[in-house]
Amino acid sequence: MTQPPVQSRSSSGSRSPVAAHPVISAVIAVLIIACIAGTLFVPIYARTVPKVGDFPFFYFYLLAYMPVVAVVLWIVVQLQKKLGPPGGQPANPGEVAK
Amino acid sequence: MSDVNVTTFTIVVILFVIVTGVGFAAVRWRRAEDMLHLNEWGLGGRGFGTFVTWFMLGGDVYTAYTYIAVPALVFGSGSIGFFAVSYTIMVYPIIIIFLPRLWSVSRVHNYITPSDFIRGRYGSRGLSLASAFTGIIALMPYIALQLVGIQAVLTVMGVGTTSNNTFIKDLPLFIAFLVLAVFTYVSGLRAPAAISFIKDTLVYVMVIVAVFYIPTRLGGWGHIFGTAEAHFTSINPATKKPYGTFVPTSGVTGSTQLDFATLALGSAIALFLYPHTITGTLAAKRRYVVRRNTALLPIYSILLGLIALLGYMAITDKTTAAEVKKAGNAQLAVPYLFQHMFSPWFAGVAFAAIIIGALVPAAIMAIAAANLFTRNIFTEFFKPDASPRLQTKVSQWASFVVKIGALYFAVELPHTFAINLQLLGGVWILQLGPMLIGGLFTRWFDRYALLLGWLAGMAFGTIAAYKSASPTVSHWASSSDIEFGHTVYIGLSALIINLVIAVILTVIFRAAKVPQGADETLPHQYTADPADLPAPTPVGIGLGAAEAGTAGAGTAGDLSRGRPAPLPDGVHAPGPLPDGVHAPAPSGAGAKNIDGRHMTIGHLGNGLPSCVEGIASLQ
Repeated sequence: MTQPPVQSRSSSGSRSPVAAHPVISAVIAVLIIACIAGTLFVPIYARTVPKVGDFPFFYFYLLAYMPVVAVVLWIVVQLQKKLGPPGGQPANPGEVAK
Repeated sequence: MSDVNVTTFTIVVILFVIVTGVGFAAVRWRRAEDMLHLNEWGLGGRGFGTFVTWFMLGGDVYTAYTYIAVPALVFGSGSIGFFAVSYTIMVYPIIIIFLPRLWSVSRVHNYITPSDFIRGRYGSRGLSLASAFTGIIALMPYIALQLVGIQAVLTVMGVGTTSNNTFIKDLPLFIAFLVLAVFTYVSGLRAPAAISFIKDTLVYVMVIVAVFYIPTRLGGWGHIFGTAEAHFTSINPATKKPYGTFVPTSGVTGSTQLDFATLALGSAIALFLYPHTITGTLAAKRRYVVRRNTALLPIYSILLGLIALLGYMAITDKTTAAEVKKAGNAQLAVPYLFQHMFSPWFAGVAFAAIIIGALVPAAIMAIAAANLFTRNIFTEFFKPDASPRLQTKVSQWASFVVKIGALYFAVELPHTFAINLQLLGGVWILQLGPMLIGGLFTRWFDRYALLLGWLAGMAFGTIAAYKSASPTVSHWASSSDIEFGHTVYIGLSALIINLVIAVILTVIFRAAKVPQGADETLPHQYTADPADLPAPTPVGIGLGAAEAGTAGAGTAGDLSRGRPAPLPDGVHAPGPLPDGVHAPAPSGAGAKNIDGRHMTIGHLGNGLPSCVEGIASLQ
């Protein structure tokens, strides 16, 4: 039976990434919740005025919100990189929940 | 075939032939040492990078039903159809929470289907079977609706509508589907992945041309919105109510803001519970590929917002609106619009885009359903020692059977029936939320509690959808019904019931010390990012050991016969046995609250584009 890679055996009980980076984690949580809330709370945009160009506000908002979410999620992805070790490494080796 | 436009028809045929060629050639793409392995056939070798995954998931998520049914709903009912836009916005911030975890644990344990994960997580064959069953019955009508989308295009093209003989009438559909079935059989997931490049390009071209060109023909966006607003606020003499809504209302019943929000939220959660989207995800090479795609896929959603607006263009164009009303089928709105607005050759490109746009997701859905059958029904219950080769064979044939079944749905049953089933499929698939999403974050839930919650959600959702009536239809009228005086999405109500029962029963069962079953996953595996393929191609036996191991005793025997599997998991836990005989992690207490993040599923819901309302309002 092939042995697991060395890293995976490291027994150092590193803390979970969330606990290790409380600020970044909080920012990520806020960004994700904001993305969802911005379209979940329909009263924010369920109206026809103001018109933006020829687009009633409702339709303008939905179309314009999409790229915003894409950008915010890209930021989230970049932030998540800081939570764990970079790509090639197994994340939090040997970590086991208490 | 008398009034077929030759140019349009020729372009469609040429593009279809090209796609067929690509489908068959795809088997050579990233050629596997052994195609007869479910990781290869069913997951394309699990090696897709960011670029390929983006195209494939885009091709997977945005189906012909989307191109046809969302504008149809907008055409029929107005703003409520835009819930689909809101839902495709919401889906990405939601999946960024749980999808990378599902990828990681599936990679480590070589899970091929979501039900494999449920089997491994809860040590419960019953729960795994329930989820596989739900997945298959939710996918069948979904595939059928891809065919309905193709039929809508063929009808408008004038192909095959002149005969009363079902077989002759639907011959083009049969041909399209036979081709699809054969190249899926041969190439597996590689085929739709390769074709999705063509599909997505065509769809982009189609939509961009449509949204820039058609408004110039129709007097500009101001006129389009003006016509739509006037139409939906005017009173329908038949029902004495407005035809629809131009923006969601703030009332308590009807197309309200709450209905809009619950439909969007429910659908967003449901989308990545569907087995075919999970199949697309698990085919990714690395964890970062999945994460990056959650930020890149919203680019597609912009497309959907624009596609939805085609419904308003169809209202504005008098000829299109009249023809759709005459046919009594809102599904024809987009094809008719294209036929009237575009020159014949570009109409051909657009029609081909829709047809190919149906074939790609249909292929992935058939593969996903086939994998579920093979892994979680056939291997689990009938042949625990099935070799990877046999599993792949079974999957190939199952994909064939699934497609035949879908074809039967589309051809023999009334289309409203297929659409109703699709509506139900959304409600059903959402009931996997607690066990699947919940299971990715906590092992707190009791497996029997989850099973009973699932049952309650399925029963409630089915009955509520059956009972929903409208002035024109007595059953299956809508994906929303009225709860406590408010119109909300049925899937959401069902999910809340499901979740409440699961929570209450878990508390009771835990107090009663009901055995919890083995959990073969370990907390760190949910964030692992193994670079190596789990068991690349161990021919003939042993497969991704961990996966086989989940199948219980029979498989353990199989494994011991097999030669040492080449370490399926990149990052294995301290556990000495990567395979079958996992030392079960301490279930329950030990495994809960992994990495500090608790999944709080407040309320969920779903409802894939149910254009029932749109159609109902036309009738």
